[in-house]
Amino acid sequence: MRLWCSSTLMGPAWPARLCALLLLCGAAAPAWAVPSFARQTGLACAACHTVFPELTHFGRVFKANGYVLDNLQQVRAVSSKRQELLDLAKTPALSIMTQVSYTTLKTRLPDVSNPAAPGLTQNGTAGFPQQLSLFYAGKIAPHFGAFAQLTYANDSGTIAIDNTDLRFADMMILPHKQSLIYGISLNNNPTVQDLWNSTPAFGFPFASSNAAVSPLAGTQIDGALAQSVAGMSAYAFWKESLYLEAGIYRSAKQGQTNVLTGAAGPLDGTASNVIEGGAPYWRAAYEHNWGANSLEVGMYGAEFKLFPGAGAPLQGPDNRFNDVAEDFQYQYVGEDHILSVEGTRIHEKMSLAASAAAGASNATDDLTTDRLWATYYYRRELGGTIGWFSTAGSTDSGLYPATVTLPSGAVCACGVVTSANGSPDTKGLIGEVNYLPWLNVKLSLQYTHYTKFNGGSTNYDGFGRNASDNDTVYLLLWFAY
Amino acid sequence: MSSIDRRTARLAPLMAATGALAFVLASPLDRAQGLTATPLNAEDTAIGVCGTCHGPDGNSTNPMFPRLAGQHAGYIVRQLKFFKDQSRADPYAIAYMWGMASGLSDDTLEALAQYYARQKTGPGKSHDPATIARGRDIFEHGIPSQGVPACAACHGADALGSDMYPRLAGQHAEYILKQLASFQSNMRNIAVMHGVAQNLRKPEMQAVADYLESLP
Repeated sequence: MRLWCSSTLMGPAWPARLCALLLLCGAAAPAWAVPSFARQTGLACAACHTVFPELTHFGRVFKANGYVLDNLQQVRAVSSKRQELLDLAKTPALSIMTQVSYTTLKTRLPDVSNPAAPGLTQNGTAGFPQQLSLFYAGKIAPHFGAFAQLTYANDSGTIAIDNTDLRFADMMILPHKQSLIYGISLNNNPTVQDLWNSTPAFGFPFASSNAAVSPLAGTQIDGALAQSVAGMSAYAFWKESLYLEAGIYRSAKQGQTNVLTGAAGPLDGTASNVIEGGAPYWRAAYEHNWGANSLEVGMYGAEFKLFPGAGAPLQGPDNRFNDVAEDFQYQYVGEDHILSVEGTRIHEKMSLAASAAAGASNATDDLTTDRLWATYYYRRELGGTIGWFSTAGSTDSGLYPATVTLPSGAVCACGVVTSANGSPDTKGLIGEVNYLPWLNVKLSLQYTHYTKFNGGSTNYDGFGRNASDNDTVYLLLWFAY
Repeated sequence: MSSIDRRTARLAPLMAATGALAFVLASPLDRAQGLTATPLNAEDTAIGVCGTCHGPDGNSTNPMFPRLAGQHAGYIVRQLKFFKDQSRADPYAIAYMWGMASGLSDDTLEALAQYYARQKTGPGKSHDPATIARGRDIFEHGIPSQGVPACAACHGADALGSDMYPRLAGQHAEYILKQLASFQSNMRNIAVMHGVAQNLRKPEMQAVADYLESLP
């Protein structure tokens, strides 16, 4: 799961604060390399990945083509007019992925479970597993494939739909041997369909602790709406270089029912952060490949109009988030040495008419997230990543409050997940060392260091906690088969 | 209706139309996305599938993947069959080509080979003249004192090869070095080439590889 926890909304903000309090973000779980792709294609992981989950050029083309490249034996059916009615792999494209982890914070957290007897929490959280996922990842029919993930996570203790990307894709050959791949993606997380690892859904850190303290601020396109929206986008990839995509997202809440009918919809005011109409999404990128090098530069963005809901009707003033981002990705993929340098900057302009009317925020705010990281691997066996991250924006004590509302409804002056000065600013570094005894098994040791957290370096919460107190050591065993 | 609403309203039918168009464009007989290409669509397969690594016209830019433009069809067919029956077992063959070739019919691999054989080769790559001269000398005359025969004896005076022996002119130097290492370790188990590679020192391999890459 990603570190970035969005609480940028909402009138009654307790869901976001609860998210922070529980020290988890229900945001986008990362996408994985999936062994069922290897079984389907007969290609080793190294064809599509530098080291999972980062894609090579071949992996990006495989994804754009709808995950359908298939070298398995098929069950077939053909009509009397030779129309292909069925082309079904004899082996289903199923995979299982497991993460087992151990997380330690630099400084223990206050234990607020019993206000009458305050104390300190344990330090050192074992996730066994942190996450267990079942995938269908591969061809469904000719030109129709899926990357669909069903996940059990130890924080929720439940099984839920995770990142899902259904694709219809085809290719035509234009004059002068130019390929044009085009298709449609149906997915549940903006950027999960993207081909590069510089965008949020598949960006670094590829795996994060769900037992660490997450900062308050994050942009909407940065995983805040993951798995709570459904989107359809159309894309074209010309000469495996120029990529253009446009789409629309609409809220698709899991576990949400209409109060009156008890049915799965229509959504009513019990839901929170509901997209008004459809939210447009767009993406443009250009990739140039030379020798063993690949360079991509691009932009992406979306405009979300959200009703706060959570007790308020889904009408009247809304909150608007205009996200525009730039990204780049450089890769050198040699036989012995692999180097990747990637980054993104996301700008978000907020017009918070609904939250401002409820006295919960400024009328307008802005927020910028920057991430830059470099990864090196030797023979896909031993490597690591060093990354820098920064989120900065307008001070808004409504969005980034000094208190937190507990699940009981009590307002707690607890610190840790709050901001004393109302600033969203968070900065730090992540260092990670990875060892892969096999291409589908990764041992990872990650250290996250905060130089600023929720607006301050020292005493950021007004209760004496420093940014570096949230430094996190994360030990991970991650494998898929 | 706000401007965003209007934009959204305009985009929705566009998206639906694009989706419908995409389905229409996919003719039922052209729906096999795997490598079960027939001679009729081998060219599309070569450009759209093989071309991702080998280049649309077989002139790959990535030295990890061999240039296939101008390679002899008979040689390509034989290698594809070796991949298919898994008898060629150098690391990249195992990782990439065992899978890619596994579903190829005889007709398809013949058609793919013919496609590459008729593609024009690119220009040679410049290298240090002294190294090229040394490489050319080894290629043409071998190194008798080390028991290395002249490469030209099989691969031709201009390294253009034949159906039996591959064209080496214009091939990536890095790829040639990798193959020589595979012959040396017997991961590519060809007795003649094993003997040659065993007796070549690394600078000599580099010189020959640079010379071959410099050829058009």
